[in-house]
Amino acid sequence: MNLVVQTLADGLVLGGIYALAAVGFSLIFGVLHVINLSHGILVLLGAYLALILSTSLRIDPLLTMPAVMAVLFVVGYAYQRLLIQRAVDRSPLGSMLLTFGVALMLQNTMIWVFSPDMKSITPGYALASFKLGAISFDAVRVSCLLASLVMLCCLAALLKFSALGRVIRATAQQTLAARLCGVNVRHVYALTFAVSAAFAGASGIVIGIILPFSPADEGTWTLNAFVVVVLGGVGSPAGALIGGLLLGMVSTLTAQYIGPSFPNVTMFLLLVLLLLVRPQGLLGNAFAPSR
Amino acid sequence: MTQKPAAFVAVILGCAVVLALAPLVLPPFYVRVGQLMLYSAGLAVAWTILGGFAGYASFGHAAFIGVGAFAAGLAEERLAGLPPALLLPIGMLVGGLACAILSAVVAYPILRLRGTFFAIAMLGVCHVCAELNNNIDALQGSLGLNFPAVAPAAWDPAVFFYELYLAAGVVVFLIAWQIQRSRFGAGLLSIREDEDTARMLGVPTERYKRIAFVASAVLTGLLGVIYAHSLGYITTDSVYRDDTNLSLIVYSLLGGMGTLFGPVIGAFTLVFITQVVLARLLDFHLFATGLLLVLLVLAAPGGVLGFVKSWRQRRRAAATAPAE
Repeated sequence: MNLVVQTLADGLVLGGIYALAAVGFSLIFGVLHVINLSHGILVLLGAYLALILSTSLRIDPLLTMPAVMAVLFVVGYAYQRLLIQRAVDRSPLGSMLLTFGVALMLQNTMIWVFSPDMKSITPGYALASFKLGAISFDAVRVSCLLASLVMLCCLAALLKFSALGRVIRATAQQTLAARLCGVNVRHVYALTFAVSAAFAGASGIVIGIILPFSPADEGTWTLNAFVVVVLGGVGSPAGALIGGLLLGMVSTLTAQYIGPSFPNVTMFLLLVLLLLVRPQGLLGNAFAPSR
Repeated sequence: MTQKPAAFVAVILGCAVVLALAPLVLPPFYVRVGQLMLYSAGLAVAWTILGGFAGYASFGHAAFIGVGAFAAGLAEERLAGLPPALLLPIGMLVGGLACAILSAVVAYPILRLRGTFFAIAMLGVCHVCAELNNNIDALQGSLGLNFPAVAPAAWDPAVFFYELYLAAGVVVFLIAWQIQRSRFGAGLLSIREDEDTARMLGVPTERYKRIAFVASAVLTGLLGVIYAHSLGYITTDSVYRDDTNLSLIVYSLLGGMGTLFGPVIGAFTLVFITQVVLARLLDFHLFATGLLLVLLVLAAPGGVLGFVKSWRQRRRAAATAPAE
């Protein structure tokens, strides 16, 4: 019994982090209709930046979050304006391959700059843990989960209440109508991309604290984001949260009860199953182009 | 060209004969490069039956290379006593059959998805196959499989496999050509252009898609069987490769999506660039591939053939304009 609860608790923590890692991907997908295959690179960029900042300034890695997000915001804005905008209204395959090309280039650059070795961020409280009843929690993981949830709430509030959020939602719903109402769609696209990149960077910090990372991991994080978005639904933080939690649970349960090498199998079976019965995701709006 | 099928076949066979004689004069390194070019071109054409003609771009065709290779290898291991000349055809039969069954089963759910969803779901299929292959001990994915040497003793194995790839490539190409000029091919084209309208006009879209998927998968699997034999020893990682998944899209994109010659041009060009031009810059490979992708999407979204076509149209427009 304890094992079940412990597994579920681990899945919950992991799921919260998956959700944060996927929310930017989801936003870009929902607003620009671009599958950003360089998402994993942005996540790793956040992790490496946090590693450099926290070791050079000797501060807690979670405190580097504002700086990392600011850098990635700028990077994301420029990336969208300079490259993605040129392919955004063409075939979906075009923009997908463009971002894949960028991912390959940046992965190669990261290997040169940061070496292909595994790195990890270790905060001072790395080994602390506490117990709640019979279930044990690592302090690191819980603080990361909390950080993820806070960030998700911030993004949800940003989208719901701010002027920027309103414009982003309008563009996602009806690009043409938004343009007719005087929205500068290119600017909104770029801002959306910038916000997404900033959140990818924030998730990179959290991931870097919990798991070791290397430049070769970027594909995993892109794929995870895709699965989370398909499971939860496109374009909303709540959808990403649901999808992330589901994915976290499924992968820890599979690893515990079926075998440590099978999470991908169950993950993709779940994905295909869900695409078939509910293509818009658990919480999403109807997303016509999926079938 | 399509008006005179006999002439077309003659030209293709003529090219094939020239290519078949090439190993006589080429140094061994270029025979290997040629092998890879022909193998990639064969795969690219097989991919394009589904991805180019019907517009269902698969991101996971390496699944069929892997399944074909492992099915053939496991079968040949059980029949190790037979003469090598028999083993290769048996292997191809088993590998092709395995791919046919897998693709026919997978086709039902997967082909309901469109566009990027289909592409990524196929990537999922590839990863699932690879993972199952790697983790189920009876399939020997992590241990590896040995393949018998099938090249006749009198032949240099490199030349033998070069000719084998060439023959397979020509067969795949002619099959794709026949598909393209048939009623079935026209149906696939209508699916690519507008699937709902095609369906409304009475094109049996589901059946056509399924046939194209199975045909593409089987041809890919057969090439995978040959590939495994030319390697001699495979593990999961050497056949279920994500860079193959990507390359297959890039070949068509580079040459011209949806055309018959595009994938061939794309495969030849890209293999030549990566194997010969960039051969000394291994650290630079990922970066160069990425850069090429970015430039392609930005500068020539129609590929080489699309570029030539638009250039011709512009010239014709320029030639007729002054008459007004």
